Amino acid sequence: MQNLIRFLIKYGTWMLFILYVLISCSLLFNNNPYQHSVFLTSANSVSTGVYNASNSVTSYFNLRDINEDLQRNNADLELQLLSLKAELRKYREQEYADSVPVDSALSRYKFVIAHVINQTTTRPHNYITIEKGSLDGIQPEMGVVDQNGVVGIVNVTGPHSARVISLLNNNLRISCKIKRSQQVGSLVWDGRNSQEAVLEELPRHATFSKGDTVVTSGYSTAFPEGVPVGVVLGLMKDYDENFYALRIKLFTDFSTLSTVRVISDGMKSELENLEQQDPEKESE
Amino acid sequence: MNKTATQLLGITLILLLAQVIVLNHVCLFGVAVPFAFIYVLLRLPVTMNQNWVLTVGFFMGLLIDIFSDTQGMNALACTILVMFRKPVLRLYFPREDELTDTLPSISSLGFIIYMKYALSMSLIYCGLIFIIEAFSLFNFLTLLLRIISSTILTTLLLIGIDSLTLRRREKRL
Repeated sequence: MQNLIRFLIKYGTWMLFILYVLISCSLLFNNNPYQHSVFLTSANSVSTGVYNASNSVTSYFNLRDINEDLQRNNADLELQLLSLKAELRKYREQEYADSVPVDSALSRYKFVIAHVINQTTTRPHNYITIEKGSLDGIQPEMGVVDQNGVVGIVNVTGPHSARVISLLNNNLRISCKIKRSQQVGSLVWDGRNSQEAVLEELPRHATFSKGDTVVTSGYSTAFPEGVPVGVVLGLMKDYDENFYALRIKLFTDFSTLSTVRVISDGMKSELENLEQQDPEKESE
Repeated sequence: MNKTATQLLGITLILLLAQVIVLNHVCLFGVAVPFAFIYVLLRLPVTMNQNWVLTVGFFMGLLIDIFSDTQGMNALACTILVMFRKPVLRLYFPREDELTDTLPSISSLGFIIYMKYALSMSLIYCGLIFIIEAFSLFNFLTLLLRIISSTILTTLLLIGIDSLTLRRREKRL
């Protein structure tokens, strides 16, 4: 017994060394990671706290890279979104074309469906750009409507795009009438509000009331008769001494314009010929 | 003694945190890993009971293991390292009694001897660590490269840390 104690004292350091080495090795060669005690891994509360504290600082260092990654990711997703949108638009266009009622009275007119690719509403002279052009049968002076009402008139055409003079443009005048009383006036935008316009040159004997619907008159080849334009909001006093002027609330919401119909009139050339020929014949 | 003990404890804490938070993620040129915390084991007083030295070494390694999820690897290496401490020190500095300070440092051993001491200890430690690591993944050339580069880096770091603490102590005096 005494010998054993003496032995232990003499070789105590080595014993301790061997003990520690054995513990370390048992940890090291304990291959099953599920058997590790939670206190001996970085999942314990102290090391978690330390790592959280350091991470709250170091996480800022990577923000730049993370940001770039996100941007790239975002761009990819955006591209995907765009292609999906284009596909969706194709189908929607088909559906839209199918949904247009082919009335016998309107067989004179044909519709070309186009998408708005650019537009303004805030300037005094607003224009809209659509993505169909002369190759799709669009020519200047064709009327443009959307599902709600009048949008404008085609002004310039390229092969694949066209510029439309928006109704929200001082230079555009559209012949309109009050649906109930059939009194004809001229619709023009006064540049104040993108949802309102003015129906001018209405004869003073015209009868109207608030809430009357205003439609196109059909006197020009741009629009067929009866395309909805807006409702009467009220009389504008001191606007014109010889005529009435009415404030009109437009049906078309120009801020959310996306798909429009361009109206092509099959009788346009015939009518124009007719109107031009008459005075010539008279002069002869 | 109390002052040196608290100082040693402070250094231990700082180096432990530095090792765990920063240095464990450093891998210079893809091979060299600095092990700064073994500075504490190098600096333990010469007169300290070997049993205590062993205990400190083991638990130091275990702490690093806990933080870096290397079960028992650093504990084993540290335990073996501290066993080599005395023989290595004796090899370069045979007259132990002539030490002015019981803490091995540049000021007590002199720069050349301390450098040799640090180099040998780092070599032992890095060798052990990478050999233990290589049990699972063995590639002799990479192993050698890792041991040598890590040894150099660790030695430089040890000397740097020691000169830092040295200057601090001189200012205090």
